[in-house]
Amino acid sequence: MTTPVLEIRNLHARIEEREILKGVNLVIPQGEVHAIMGRNGSGKSTLSYVLAGKEDYEVTEGEILLNGVSILEMEPDERAAAGLFLAFQYPIEIPGVATMTFLKAAINAQRKARGEGELSTPDFMRAVKEAGAQLNVDSEMLKRPLNVGFSGGEKKRAEIMQMALLKPSLAVLDETDSGLDIDALQVVSKGVNALRDGKRSMLVITHYQRLLNHIVPDVVHVFSDGRIVESGDKDLALQLEAKGYADYDGQAA
Amino acid sequence: MRPAFPVRLGAAEETLIAQLKAAGADQVAERVTVAGLPTRRVEAYHYTDLKTLLRTVPPLAQPANEATGTAIRVPGAYALSIVNGVVQHAATAPEGVIVGKTHGGVLTHRDDTLVGISNGLTKEALSLDLRGTIDQVIQIDHRIEGEAGHVADATKIFVADDSSVVILETFSGSDAAHVGNHASYLALGKNAIVTHVTVDLGSRATAHFATNEYHLAEGAQLRTLVVHAGSGLARTHLFPRMEGAGAHADVTGLNLVSEGQHSDITMETTHAVPHTSSQPLFKSITRGRSKAVVQGKLIVARDAQKTDAKFMHQGLMLSDDAEILSKPELEIYADDVVCGHGSTCGKLDEDSLFYLLSRGIPKAEAETMLVRGFIAELIDPIEDEALNEALQGIVDGWLLGQ
Repeated sequence: MTTPVLEIRNLHARIEEREILKGVNLVIPQGEVHAIMGRNGSGKSTLSYVLAGKEDYEVTEGEILLNGVSILEMEPDERAAAGLFLAFQYPIEIPGVATMTFLKAAINAQRKARGEGELSTPDFMRAVKEAGAQLNVDSEMLKRPLNVGFSGGEKKRAEIMQMALLKPSLAVLDETDSGLDIDALQVVSKGVNALRDGKRSMLVITHYQRLLNHIVPDVVHVFSDGRIVESGDKDLALQLEAKGYADYDGQAA
Repeated sequence: MRPAFPVRLGAAEETLIAQLKAAGADQVAERVTVAGLPTRRVEAYHYTDLKTLLRTVPPLAQPANEATGTAIRVPGAYALSIVNGVVQHAATAPEGVIVGKTHGGVLTHRDDTLVGISNGLTKEALSLDLRGTIDQVIQIDHRIEGEAGHVADATKIFVADDSSVVILETFSGSDAAHVGNHASYLALGKNAIVTHVTVDLGSRATAHFATNEYHLAEGAQLRTLVVHAGSGLARTHLFPRMEGAGAHADVTGLNLVSEGQHSDITMETTHAVPHTSSQPLFKSITRGRSKAVVQGKLIVARDAQKTDAKFMHQGLMLSDDAEILSKPELEIYADDVVCGHGSTCGKLDEDSLFYLLSRGIPKAEAETMLVRGFIAELIDPIEDEALNEALQGIVDGWLLGQ
């Protein structure tokens, strides 16, 4: 059996004194797309931040293995170079940092960390142009400072474009559908689906089932009070949509 | 008039008085004798108390035998230099540039001790008469060489009507406890377009003082950028004056301050006539135990209606031990104006940093990107590519150093 891309074992994490993750267990084999659904405040976004290594969260117990290697002691940039990508729910606007400069720095930093040579400028331009075309990210957007003045849809498209350029082995999509209208949702989903190549794994975190009509998951997990309380196939998402999360309220305590 | 309790004079003041008397500047010598160096009680020196900060003044610098070479080289620039106060022979000037010398100080008399000392001690000034569209950047390289010396030097620049030019003044020298008192006087003719950049790259032991005076005629457009990136004690005092309708000044500056340094940019912009505007924008970045000061005063004369001016100072603290001090002042005598001021101060944004890290960019590089982003607003408008690159190089050099 091949090593799963992601393996989370009994993960506990807290912010300040408050425990948010209370024993998460999750295995995502190579090439699979898993969805995590749960109500607001259940700890879904915390899981994405803990995976990416945000400083504010302290892991108190458990283990996270990315392609069989523990990433708990790694800095966020090392995790990225190891193949993890987080598509932010709210991508950050950074005035004064040109989008192209940022993209080039990110690609080359990851290549360098993996012992690969820098991408030449023509190769870089070609890659950006290709990825941009898929996601309707035009050169006008690329000329602006990073995410500055982007609409909600533009920000999400730019996130997926970054993912296409950085080619992670595991992509974590945190509420990628939030703030998107139907047209934007289709563009983003198409971009994500284009990156499903049988090898890359994805963890799609969402509040609503509608995203999963577009990005069809292999496995759906229900998240409640800091842990996964049920797992099933894509039909589980439909049941949730019909019945809500109330059934799971008692279980987690 | 002598105050009831005469101030106690320190070694720095005794030396200054002797130097001023020897130069025949008796009035200024008298002023220093009576009042001493400015203390925090003098409003314009509130955060830069020279009586405390300047304990000694070295002897007047002698003409230098050796020169260390310029601190910044801008490819393609027409370079002139003033070494230890002496204007050097220059290469053939580009078309539209007349280089000369004038005797004595260049600054308008005003109630300011450093201005008085500059005028009292400056023997010769470099003068430039500029006409037409001058494509070459003009660099004036001020250096203080040899053992610790006190230097008063000056430039006097006239830009003719409808002319445009980019002027860079750089300040550097040997690693010694120099005191530099530099003066720049720029008069902009009607519709002249001028960029004036001054960069202090003096040694840590050096005290750098500069006074820049600008007069803008009708429709003149000025962009200034002051960069403090060297001397242990640096202070630039800016006096832009809008004297013709349609005149506009982007008055900008950057304090890059490290452990043990004190950098001060103080501005007093006067809107003397109706329909003029200015946009003062300053930034300070501090690390270690250091101090950055920005004071900005906007004066609007009684009949200077429709003045549009906004002062802004933004501070970025890279350490917990640094101090950033900000003092905006408005002195408005007209009643139909749009004037404002703002000031912010903070650390690097953690969410921005995490975002960059999450894309694989290592911390040091991510921080550099954010700091560059913070000051892009000041560097980006410098259109000359070689100069822009040189300035970016200074910022990067500062970021790499400690």
